[in-house]
Amino acid sequence: MMVDTKKSRGSKGPLAALSKGIGRYILILLGLAILDALGIWLLYLLIRDGAWPVATPIAVILILINVLNLSPKLFPIRWQIPAGAIVILIIIFPMVYTIYSAFTNYSDGHILSKQQAINRLAQDTYLPEGSQTYNWTAFRTEEGVFSLWLVDQGGEDYLVTLDTFQDAEPGEGIIGPADENGVPESLEGYQRLARLEVIKYLPELDGIQFGIYPDQVQIVDLDYAAPLVQRYSYDPELDTIIDEKSGIVYYANEDEGYYTSLEDQNLIPGYMVWVGVHNFERLFQSPAFRGPFLRIFAWTIAFAVLSVLTTFAVGLLVAIAFNDPDLKGRKLIRSLLLIPYTIPGIIGVLIWKGMLNPHLGLIPLTLERMIGWAPEFYNNPFWAKIGILLINLWLGYPYMMLISSGALQAIPDDIYDAAAVDGASGWQKFWNITLPLLLVSVGPLLIASFVFNFNNFSVIYPFLEGKPPMANTPTPAGHTDILISYTYRIAFEGGGGSDYAYAAAITIVIFFIVAVLTLIQYQYTRQWEEVSENV
Amino acid sequence: MKKKALSIVIAAILGLSLLLSACASAPEPTEVVVVEPTDVPEPTDVPEPTEVPELPKIVIWADETRSPIIEEVAALYAEVLGIEVEVVQLGFGDIRDQIKVAGPAGEGPDIFIGAHDWLGELVANGLVAEVNLGAKADSFFGPGVDAFTYDGVLYGMPYASENIAFFCNPDLLEEYSVARPETWDDVTAMSETIITASGGEVAGWTIQSNDPYHMLPLVSAYGGYIFGWTDAGYDAQDVGLDSEGGIAAANWLADMSTAGYVEAGVDYDVMHTLFEQGQVACIGTGPWALSRIRESGVAYEISAYPAGDATNGRPFLGVQGFMVSAFSENQLLAQTLLQEVVATDEFMQAFFDIDPRPSAWMPVREATADLDLAAFASAGSAGMPMPAIPEMSAVWSAAGNAEELIISGELGGEEAFMDAAEQIRTAIAEGN
Repeated sequence: MMVDTKKSRGSKGPLAALSKGIGRYILILLGLAILDALGIWLLYLLIRDGAWPVATPIAVILILINVLNLSPKLFPIRWQIPAGAIVILIIIFPMVYTIYSAFTNYSDGHILSKQQAINRLAQDTYLPEGSQTYNWTAFRTEEGVFSLWLVDQGGEDYLVTLDTFQDAEPGEGIIGPADENGVPESLEGYQRLARLEVIKYLPELDGIQFGIYPDQVQIVDLDYAAPLVQRYSYDPELDTIIDEKSGIVYYANEDEGYYTSLEDQNLIPGYMVWVGVHNFERLFQSPAFRGPFLRIFAWTIAFAVLSVLTTFAVGLLVAIAFNDPDLKGRKLIRSLLLIPYTIPGIIGVLIWKGMLNPHLGLIPLTLERMIGWAPEFYNNPFWAKIGILLINLWLGYPYMMLISSGALQAIPDDIYDAAAVDGASGWQKFWNITLPLLLVSVGPLLIASFVFNFNNFSVIYPFLEGKPPMANTPTPAGHTDILISYTYRIAFEGGGGSDYAYAAAITIVIFFIVAVLTLIQYQYTRQWEEVSENV
Repeated sequence: MKKKALSIVIAAILGLSLLLSACASAPEPTEVVVVEPTDVPEPTDVPEPTEVPELPKIVIWADETRSPIIEEVAALYAEVLGIEVEVVQLGFGDIRDQIKVAGPAGEGPDIFIGAHDWLGELVANGLVAEVNLGAKADSFFGPGVDAFTYDGVLYGMPYASENIAFFCNPDLLEEYSVARPETWDDVTAMSETIITASGGEVAGWTIQSNDPYHMLPLVSAYGGYIFGWTDAGYDAQDVGLDSEGGIAAANWLADMSTAGYVEAGVDYDVMHTLFEQGQVACIGTGPWALSRIRESGVAYEISAYPAGDATNGRPFLGVQGFMVSAFSENQLLAQTLLQEVVATDEFMQAFFDIDPRPSAWMPVREATADLDLAAFASAGSAGMPMPAIPEMSAVWSAAGNAEELIISGELGGEEAFMDAAEQIRTAIAEGN
């Protein structure tokens, strides 16, 4: 039946639309035409600027939109365009881009493209030895042509234009008489610019070489002009950069993303290059991997498992407690219990961090007063772990309560009635009926929660940044560090600043670890389903 | 029919929003200008005559404290100079992150404010242009200018410098009849006296755990250092935590910990609260804490850090200043604004007034009537610029963890600092 409907709808398409009314078809074509025009213009801009990573998904989306609207076969699924576009843009594109980055050296020192790095180096100038600086005064014609009056250190005067550089004296020819500083008051055809007046013309004067080679000057600031020379010149044919000051030649080093001299000196900034599996090799050879990796991995699993178990246990308990319809005010209480869910996680963590502060925090101070002892949540490894689990419990139980309440109401009452007839106790009912049936429906959600907590950086890092520290480790590591916070440090607190490509490679490795763990757990959920079939 | 129209609208909106977001980040293509100095260059094109000259525009990025001042002053000058100035307000730390993305994309500012220790990262990424102080160079605080000099090139115009200094509560010192400590050994003796006399209610000295910034004056007093200093700046190959002086400082701290004179788990808030409530006699902190300490009403006295075997404790010097983006299309104008507008008494005074910390502009620095700030300035006279080299990122966790492990008694002084130095060397070797 379904298939038939699809077929009959599939035979409609643009032609069917045509038969229904030409206006509708034109409307589609018009819409597509406008969209394509915009899209192609956008793509042109992006590609012109070399922004391939952004241009590609947009091109794919644009092509999809056209194909889906114009092909009679695919016309029926055109409603999926928005969903498809979103999938491409926010799921596939970031994934592809992360994977791509993991194979580059995108990191501090290599964030520019090669062209950008060459452009940046082309900006550097230097003052050749023995050349002198001048004080200058600008004159401007109404057409926007500039001349400079220069006075060198020896007091000699010069008049320079874009292509002349000559000795001059005030009062000669077109040059007006000198003012008290020896600068001519006027220049025929030109208007003299006062010191502050010239500022608004600086964008026009920026970088202009006045005079003619080899007598050339550039404006350095409001006081000086000097014969500045471009320091690095690029040779596109040999792909080399020559340092005009020292004469050193730098060759493009495509392995490391630098222009490098024969003496192994690198020009700063470097640029981004493809480095293959280098980042993965680095990770597996890193001392971070030999060191506390296993301890951190074990705690990561413990943290994720315990977080799921505690939040689920408390959430289920609360759900069962407030599942009784006879309870008065249960809606209000349930709403209040949901509050942690509505507070942004990071704020919740920071509030708890304050409450657990061993010196000023509410909880340690209260315990201290009541029993004369308080756990050191900040600097004792065991209690820090308890602290983080408590925080995560508070943050996580409302979600578990929500999903459990829903699942509880879906369990048919007659099963309980049958159990009651068989003489089952309340505990037996819970253990043999409620829990297995519940797990069938919430099991996948628990696994999702495990995966989420496995990478729950936003709880671990704001609390103690992974501290308290472990002693005697080859790289800095902490007792509450989970894999993601530990590797965050490897990527961003290494010796070379932030290493985004390395971080991307680590992310991919962690993805595989989580994927394997998730697969294993799905095997277990199958068992629950078998249980439920037996009930 | 309605549905179809809707789908077209959705597709159009999606397309449009893509377009807008992409336009916002589409980088301007920049032509490479390759001038061959050996050849005779063509005369540069005559600028096109402009009918109605559009006002040149300068974009400045600044934090929330300073942007109102810049806006005000810039508006005043803009009228006189005939240029347009736009101030964009960002969190101070956000400026550092955003400049990396916005600069190369052509969306960045012409001028931005920042701290000198960002330079390693900014220079490595080619984001900043050389700054020229021109005729006003001599009016700037020398160490501030040095701090903004990276590999021999000046990249910023400093406006303020800051450093931590030693705070003691004179009332407490009097109560327990101890003198203000002149050396770190005095600190030990003072701690013993005060803790014994008060039955542990009051401590002599406390320090933020896991914070190399506040620990440096102790390490440097004994001759320890983070990175060795050469004429060319800090040398990342010379890690000095496990030098003789560094170990001596670590052992001093370990002795304090063993004796129970220094507490673990202290953070910024705890340290200040303890001081403000009169529960600790001496701490080290910076000018940013002045207002809260003054408000608390606690008695305090600011001085240089105590001395160790080598010298008086030398704090890190942090310098803030204006930098010019290498991706600015108007670098000459930006430079000129800095020289003509920022490097003036009025501007620097306004900057000082809004957020008092020792000015990097000598006329304002010397005219400071605030005794506390003068004390900070003198405590910082022997300060060392915070290393700006990118390798510094490997130091914070390693050195901080070592400090925490010593204070919590988990490791001895020597072992902790040897480990930390090794961690730093490993990270640096791996990062290169």
